[in-house]
Amino acid sequence: MNRILTTHVGSLVRPKPLRDLLAAKERGEQVDETVLEQATTEAVEDVVRRQADAGIDVVDDGEMGKLTWITYLYERVSGLEPRMVPVEGTTILPPSRDRQAFPEFYAEHDAAFAIEMADALQLELAEGESAQVKLWFCTGPLEYDATRLEQDIARFKAALDGVEVTDAFLPVVAPASVYWLRNEHYATEEEFVFAVADALHVEYKAIVEAGLMLQVDDAVLMHEYDSILAEGGSVEDYRRWAELRVEALVHALRGLPEDRIRYHVCFGSWHGPHVHDPPLADLIDLVLKVPARYYLMEQGNPRHEHEWRIWEGVTLPEGKVLVPGVVTHHTTVVEHPEAVAQRLVRLANVVGRDSVMGGTDCGFAQGAFIQRVHPTIQWAKLEALAEGARLATKELYGAEAAS
Amino acid sequence: MSDRILTTHVGALQRTPEAEAALLGEAPVEELTAAVADVVRRQVEAGIDVVDDGEYGKSIWQWYVTERLDGIERKEREGLAPLRGRDHLEFPDFYAYALATPNVLFHGSDRAFWNAIATVPVCVGPIAYKADPVERDIANLKAALDGADVADAFMPAVAPASAEVDMANEHYATQEELLWALADALREEYRAIVDAGFQLQVDDAWIPAMWDHDPSLDLETYRAYCRTRVEALNHALEGVPEDRVRYHLCWGSWHGPHATDIPLAEIVDLMLAVDAGTYLVEAANVRHEHEYHLWETVELPEGKKLAPGVVTHSTNLIEHPELVAERIVRFADRVGRENVIASTDCGMGSRIHPELGWAKLATLAEGARLATERLW
Repeated sequence: MNRILTTHVGSLVRPKPLRDLLAAKERGEQVDETVLEQATTEAVEDVVRRQADAGIDVVDDGEMGKLTWITYLYERVSGLEPRMVPVEGTTILPPSRDRQAFPEFYAEHDAAFAIEMADALQLELAEGESAQVKLWFCTGPLEYDATRLEQDIARFKAALDGVEVTDAFLPVVAPASVYWLRNEHYATEEEFVFAVADALHVEYKAIVEAGLMLQVDDAVLMHEYDSILAEGGSVEDYRRWAELRVEALVHALRGLPEDRIRYHVCFGSWHGPHVHDPPLADLIDLVLKVPARYYLMEQGNPRHEHEWRIWEGVTLPEGKVLVPGVVTHHTTVVEHPEAVAQRLVRLANVVGRDSVMGGTDCGFAQGAFIQRVHPTIQWAKLEALAEGARLATKELYGAEAAS
Repeated sequence: MSDRILTTHVGALQRTPEAEAALLGEAPVEELTAAVADVVRRQVEAGIDVVDDGEYGKSIWQWYVTERLDGIERKEREGLAPLRGRDHLEFPDFYAYALATPNVLFHGSDRAFWNAIATVPVCVGPIAYKADPVERDIANLKAALDGADVADAFMPAVAPASAEVDMANEHYATQEELLWALADALREEYRAIVDAGFQLQVDDAWIPAMWDHDPSLDLETYRAYCRTRVEALNHALEGVPEDRVRYHLCWGSWHGPHATDIPLAEIVDLMLAVDAGTYLVEAANVRHEHEYHLWETVELPEGKKLAPGVVTHSTNLIEHPELVAERIVRFADRVGRENVIASTDCGMGSRIHPELGWAKLATLAEGARLATERLW
């Protein structure tokens, strides 16, 4: 290719018309499905065009058809039953040593998050009433229904028609990351996890067969380390938990061409201190077990920026590509393109220029009602990413650079 | 000469509710003294070598001085007018959202801070300096330092250029006359601080931020404007030993995109023209981190020190000590290990949650220890 390509992790801030319709639906109001479909189609067209305009080479649908990057799946498989249960503590976010170390910060964070969600949903926060959260319970055999996925694919392909991009991907959830889901049907944890993997296999295969790249999102794989340790578990407990789920992911990816697969890990996208995130070096063996060509990981925030150096000690297998976050949703400040270029060049100097693509730390909107930065800053960051990749290309390829 | 990387920070730390009440006159002044003792103790515990009073005695770094000057009145203003510049023009929707949402541009509800922002100073008569507040701050810091194990102590003060910005002038014949009157007044504060045995830190965010603030300026006019302000500052610093002066530049600490910040390369000569021994400048946020490369072509004058930001208030994530060390080493490789002091991008107070501000100072110290191991 002779240049540094750019992509991002997937979720983008939903345009307001779409978000308002989804909010009405969440409030239990009657929403005309054709109106919702039209708004989703327009949102996909808009974000695909804007990614191309920003200079992103490998684009997605911004996850416009998904309510969140995790729970979208629960609308697409049979055998599940949603139930409202009281929130434990102050949040639906996972337990962590980070929360234990910064209790006052997290109290403020959780209150602000609750207000953000209520504002987006246009709900009044009930005083005194104990908050409830929707959890999903597996009460029967899991089976994937491809109807919504086919809509996602059709909308995305239509939007790709007429824009100039290098490639296109659709993000999906990994078996380890099916959070807020409890098993009441399968006899063992292993049976349940592999049943999830079998359901996901249908989704993964359909995306690849549609000619799109598949991106498997697995933030929980990394974050559960902090959760398990926070609840008194050991690193061995974590590895047992994680290894089963990575095996399940390998199973879900069976028969699919490695060069069409991207694997994204991160440490949880909320704006917390993240002091207890596990070192990537300790878990990289798990990541590299996944048969993907592209590995996307955080390197654009100050907790993980230094981890580019792990590749001095870890060999990246032949033909694989690293997609580090070189811009982050964790600060409002827009990255200077020179900073982006420096991050790309120093990694390229370790693993080789053909094994590096520019990416983001995580998505900008993990759900329809979440925005990690204001949308105008999201787009400025994607433009800075593209500009930084152009500078890196000049430095790394010089006269050989593709125009 | 030190055989390790020393640590410091830019000055403002998260004021406690007790200090806020005492500063506003709602609690006995002794509570301010106690709060300063506490904030010094916490800096020492965090591993900071060169400490200050957290600016607990100042409403806000820029306009506190108007409370110490005869000839200045404060009038109500609407909105955050000082933030309206190039960045605002490029990101109007973001700024509209940020101004309507708590804890986006700044953090917390410190009333001394917000009251100062809500008013605009107007010069209505001859400017004269009143030394009582600085004497109070000096006494509080001295008492706090008694028995504390620190390498040195500093006290921040505003630069004439940064006191002047947005000050309406109804008295002096020209803007420059106002500037020089401010310089003469501030000179008294500077001397009081140095005479007390502290390092003087002169804060001058409005030198870099003026480029954003006034979109009508071209580079030449802007630099001429800055040159005059540096002259006024040097006038105010006359007779103060250079090695007791620290000069801090930043691009404005609000959590905006900062996409239009002027590159350090365009103003580094102006910074180095200030008669200071140490220069503190942002280098830990994503807009300015790459600028360490500048020191490959710009020479830090003999005997001067650089105190780059290696942790920043602009993200909640706590910098990994390895990253802090990497940043320090990058500077040491370019200007010499004995000339680098590890610092913050800007003040933490009213910028970030207190728990995070303290964690950032601790990781700064830990990173400096790692860097020391590597450099010595």
